[in-house]
Amino acid sequence: MESHYFFPPASAYALNRFLFALKSDTAARERYAADPQAAMAEHGLDEPTRTALGTFDRDRLVTLGAHPYLVFMAQVRLSMARDPQTFEHF
Amino acid sequence: MSLVAAFALPHTPQLLVRPPTEDRDLVLRVHAAYAEVKRRLVAARPDVVGVIAGDHIEGFFLNAVPALAVFVGARASGEFGRYRYAFDVHEPLARAIVEQGIEAGFDLTYSQDVRLDYAFYVPLHFTMPEPRVPIVPLYVNVYLPPQPAPRRCYAWGQALRRILDARPERVALVASGGLSHFPGTDRYSSPDYDFDRALLASLAEGRGADTARLTGEELDKAGNVELRTWITLLGAVGGARAEVLCYEPSWHHGNAAVAWPL
Repeated sequence: MESHYFFPPASAYALNRFLFALKSDTAARERYAADPQAAMAEHGLDEPTRTALGTFDRDRLVTLGAHPYLVFMAQVRLSMARDPQTFEHF
Repeated sequence: MSLVAAFALPHTPQLLVRPPTEDRDLVLRVHAAYAEVKRRLVAARPDVVGVIAGDHIEGFFLNAVPALAVFVGARASGEFGRYRYAFDVHEPLARAIVEQGIEAGFDLTYSQDVRLDYAFYVPLHFTMPEPRVPIVPLYVNVYLPPQPAPRRCYAWGQALRRILDARPERVALVASGGLSHFPGTDRYSSPDYDFDRALLASLAEGRGADTARLTGEELDKAGNVELRTWITLLGAVGGARAEVLCYEPSWHHGNAAVAWPL
């Protein structure tokens, strides 16, 4: 069985770079929220990658070489930006 | 003066941002363990807190993946959601660790320009004494394979202890990470609590050196890639018996707080 956290294939560099930006760069997150297609095009993502990102299909993204943690935390940070009131719940 | 306190603490961000997915009482019990650690840290009167943590692909991306690194800037800062944080860095100690670590055969990366990951911040948020003391961020690669082997982490911890033993500062070390969790994978909701409990029992018997014999594959399989930060700390504390302050398994994370009497 391949490890949960595997060597990031060079073929997935643009995808991982994009997920990293969504996770760690507020401006990139806002750009994606405003216009996801344009944001993905600007990052040079190919069609299969854009389709997988459209639904944030984790298994598909990981199959394409995305780092699982980047998929996870990009989603968390998008959610935190969208619904800040769901945090500091208690 | 060397090492005056040693702890291993969780950093899962849910402890900080408290989303409705979490068990409130469990989170508050972990907060109580942090509070106990803070009391002990204050009592230990450290001049500096060295934090051994794994970068969550925040400060370092695929442009460079250091196995072991030290932040040697004046101030380390970062953000997580609405939390903005910055800590003064103890530059003389950080620099001594890099220089003497390299001399000892550990080819450390250093940086003066890297965003401080929440893995460093979360434990400090809850345990930093007031007034604050400076920190030294000590990086161990945990998420980007190939990570350093557990035996190498342990050896680095031993070398770190030798460096600290010759320094004038009173140093507290905090390992940040663990225990079992699988963020981003299909195992997220089923951590390996049995691995954690066996590990904690072994550490309580002072058998920290056994962790140097774990393999990277075993750590990945058990959701414990971050244990490398604990293993580094174990190299520094040697055969001291761990005191488990809490073990709180949540639906996604084995939250453990451990202290080593020195």
